Amino acid sequence: MTVLFFGRLKDVAGHAEESAEIGDAATIEQLFGLYAARYPELARYRSSVVASRNQEFAAWDTPLRSGDEVAFLPPVSGG
Amino acid sequence: MATLPHDDIYQLVREPIDIAALARSVRAPEDGAIVTFDGFVRNQSHNRASLYLDYEAYESMALAKMHEIGVQLREKYRIHCVAMVHRLGRLEIGETSVFIAVSAPHRAAAFDACRFAIDTLKRTVPIWKKEYFEDGAVWADGELPPAPAATPRAKPAS
Repeated sequence: MTVLFFGRLKDVAGHAEESAEIGDAATIEQLFGLYAARYPELARYRSSVVASRNQEFAAWDTPLRSGDEVAFLPPVSGG
Repeated sequence: MATLPHDDIYQLVREPIDIAALARSVRAPEDGAIVTFDGFVRNQSHNRASLYLDYEAYESMALAKMHEIGVQLREKYRIHCVAMVHRLGRLEIGETSVFIAVSAPHRAAAFDACRFAIDTLKRTVPIWKKEYFEDGAVWADGELPPAPAATPRAKPAS
């Protein structure tokens, strides 16, 4: 799986892209938990993050499949 | 995804946006009105003088969401053509960051559709801006896109 971080989440993680194995996490929530453990500041943003799976907004309990592209997105501010 | 008219334009660009050319691109003989929205960089934010902005996007998803807005516009309003362009990278004060043009046979649909398009873009398209000031930089406050709720759990067998 490819895992992407954007905006301030990218700053917190220190980079934009990671890769994870399907055995690491079964759902998007668990995947976020994995990175929150690695980068503790991430956990503070949990309530203001939405997730996407394969370029569609996704619920936190969405199951993951190998090959998925998951992104963690802070509040959007285009325009 | 529903098909969109091939003369619609949905783009992310890194060069200055040619707003006159985009407005011309949606103009057709059967139309009677074009409404445009030109969003550009303000010289201050929360009473602090801005130096410049830097925009980034989740580009593949942002383009998909911009196309989705085009589909929604067709479902809701009687319009003809849409051009929707957002610029990324460093933008100076006064430069256009987003431009939307909508043509329609009659003005009411063009006004309503253009308003819906910019409001929806600001809420759902994954683009972020960082504001640079004399004494530092911050990610702009934004809107949390509406995401699907958790999947309802299956009821336990009774």
